[in-house]
Amino acid sequence: MNRNRQVLRGLPQHSSFPSFLMLVLLIIVNAILQPTFFSYQVFKMNFMTFTPLILVSLAQATVILVGAVDLSIGAGISLVTVAMASLMGDSSLSILLVSLLGVGVALFLSLFNGFFIGFIGPPPLIMTFATSTVWFGIALLIMPTPGGYIPEAYYSLYGKSLGGFLPMPVLVLLIAIVFCLLLGRLRAFRHLYAVGGSEAAARASGIRVTATKVFAFLVSGVFTALAALCVVGQTATGDARSGQGFTLNSVAAAVIGGMAFSGGRGSYVGAIMGGIILGLLINIIYFANITSFYQEFMKGVIIIIALLIGAVPRLRRSISRR
Amino acid sequence: MQTQSQLRSLPESLRALAANKLTIAVGSVVVLFLFGEIISAGFLSFGHVMSVLRLSVFLGVVALGQSLVVLAGGEGIDLSVGSVLSFGVVVASSILKGKDANIPAALAACLGAGFAIGMVNGVGVSYIGIPPLIMTLAMASVVEGLSLIYTGGYPSGTAPNLLEVLGNGRVAGVPNVLLFWLLVITAVSLILFRKRWGAVLFGVGANGVTAELSGINVKRFRMFVYGICGAISAFAGFLVLGYTGTPYLNLGAPYLMSSIAAVAVGGISLAGGAGSYVGAVIGCILLTTLSSILVALQTTEAVRQIVYGGLLFVIVVAYTRRRRE
Repeated sequence: MNRNRQVLRGLPQHSSFPSFLMLVLLIIVNAILQPTFFSYQVFKMNFMTFTPLILVSLAQATVILVGAVDLSIGAGISLVTVAMASLMGDSSLSILLVSLLGVGVALFLSLFNGFFIGFIGPPPLIMTFATSTVWFGIALLIMPTPGGYIPEAYYSLYGKSLGGFLPMPVLVLLIAIVFCLLLGRLRAFRHLYAVGGSEAAARASGIRVTATKVFAFLVSGVFTALAALCVVGQTATGDARSGQGFTLNSVAAAVIGGMAFSGGRGSYVGAIMGGIILGLLINIIYFANITSFYQEFMKGVIIIIALLIGAVPRLRRSISRR
Repeated sequence: MQTQSQLRSLPESLRALAANKLTIAVGSVVVLFLFGEIISAGFLSFGHVMSVLRLSVFLGVVALGQSLVVLAGGEGIDLSVGSVLSFGVVVASSILKGKDANIPAALAACLGAGFAIGMVNGVGVSYIGIPPLIMTLAMASVVEGLSLIYTGGYPSGTAPNLLEVLGNGRVAGVPNVLLFWLLVITAVSLILFRKRWGAVLFGVGANGVTAELSGINVKRFRMFVYGICGAISAFAGFLVLGYTGTPYLNLGAPYLMSSIAAVAVGGISLAGGAGSYVGAVIGCILLTTLSSILVALQTTEAVRQIVYGGLLFVIVVAYTRRRRE
């Protein structure tokens, strides 16, 4: 009994607690705005857009954990969609091979960033900003205008449900969650927190800092690859601009989920909630029935507000320290 | 520093000169112009050199704002300069409506809007503690939305005669805007290296804590630097409108990446506190020459993106290696 009360009292201090409150609030708001919110159809539709958001949030959270950031996630996704749409054919072998190639490209791009950031050590922000421009250029080079070919077998699969009740996007998400759980058991995963918390201390206690950073980018690449596969399923085309919004969204979602930019703090649970929260927020913009001109503007405003909310715990801490 | 370098022996100072980032940048500009002459005759003619320099002016103005933000430190950077420039263009043209008499009002509105947007960046970065790159990236999409809302998708108005004359006119073959730029370079260099404000800027950029301890309100200072950067970016939009005559949406997009690359090429430390505007100016000329060569080679947008991104990548990596040594 006493112990239970202690756990309850500790709950508000948890790094994901503000995100959890926000999630509950947004679900209520969405349910009020859309009476069919809890129906299976809406659930399925929502997760078609939420899943890529959650995946990029996880990708960004992983690199933020080691004190880095990746601004090339969006351009990387674009490049993968373009590569897949320009190569994919109708046969199931082609679909499988090209999907694997897409995953390979995403992993390579992420490792490229991770390698330079780990071994040479330029500021991750500027470094990934530069590579994002290069990825975008390569994507444009392959496909100057949106197009390419994605067979129906691929994109209709993304809209299907396994066994009639488990939508594909949710299945992808479950795979990602299992991957997260497996990762959590690795010692290398705990090293991410150590390196993000204090590089010097991590190095002093014998952790290989460079290898840990490269590992973080590798894991991030896995999530980005899954996100890219979903985006291809969702849009059914290759587009050098299809990933554009994901960079900012990934950062916003990770921050809403309680990841600290200084590194070493936050959790995957938070990052997943952050992705869902952002998705629900964007939903509200659509419900509000505002013209498309305002949508871009509102999205930016919402992200800034989200960043503000993400900063609240830190502000409170700095005030109480005075 | 000044006296130290004077005391160096000649071979030593020559070696220092060769290792200096600015020397490398100036050397690259010369090499690029020579290369341009090889691939397309007339690249080195007076007229063409002047037109390349004139195009550099717009980038040069944007890079001024970017330089100040980067110099002020705290991982300072502004990713909203392109969107603010675009916004400046549509605000100015809608007020100008092709009439000379509207120039003062348009200029004031332009500067005011840019300053206000910049101040929002500044508050977010300084007082709320959002990393500058993220704050200004989010702001970029907000301002892009603002331009759409303001114009309804179709920018209205045109530049008046006077603005076009100023923007496109020449004195003895030298474009007016280039003369204006020389004035700006001189004034900025004076402020940075001879005035208190410049000293504070370098102090805040080099070490925010020591600046705070010596009585400077670092947060407020950095906030105003973002405001100034916003105003300058919007002013660049005003100049660009004078050059194009008619407004388009997203005229500012190409300037974002280039302004950061120019600052980095020009030897301004991305960590803040070290560098000069003259360096950024050389960076701007280098980048504009490069893009002019890419145009002469008839490359596509894609290749240009790869070249710019690759260039920034190389600079960032090379700079890091030097720091480690």
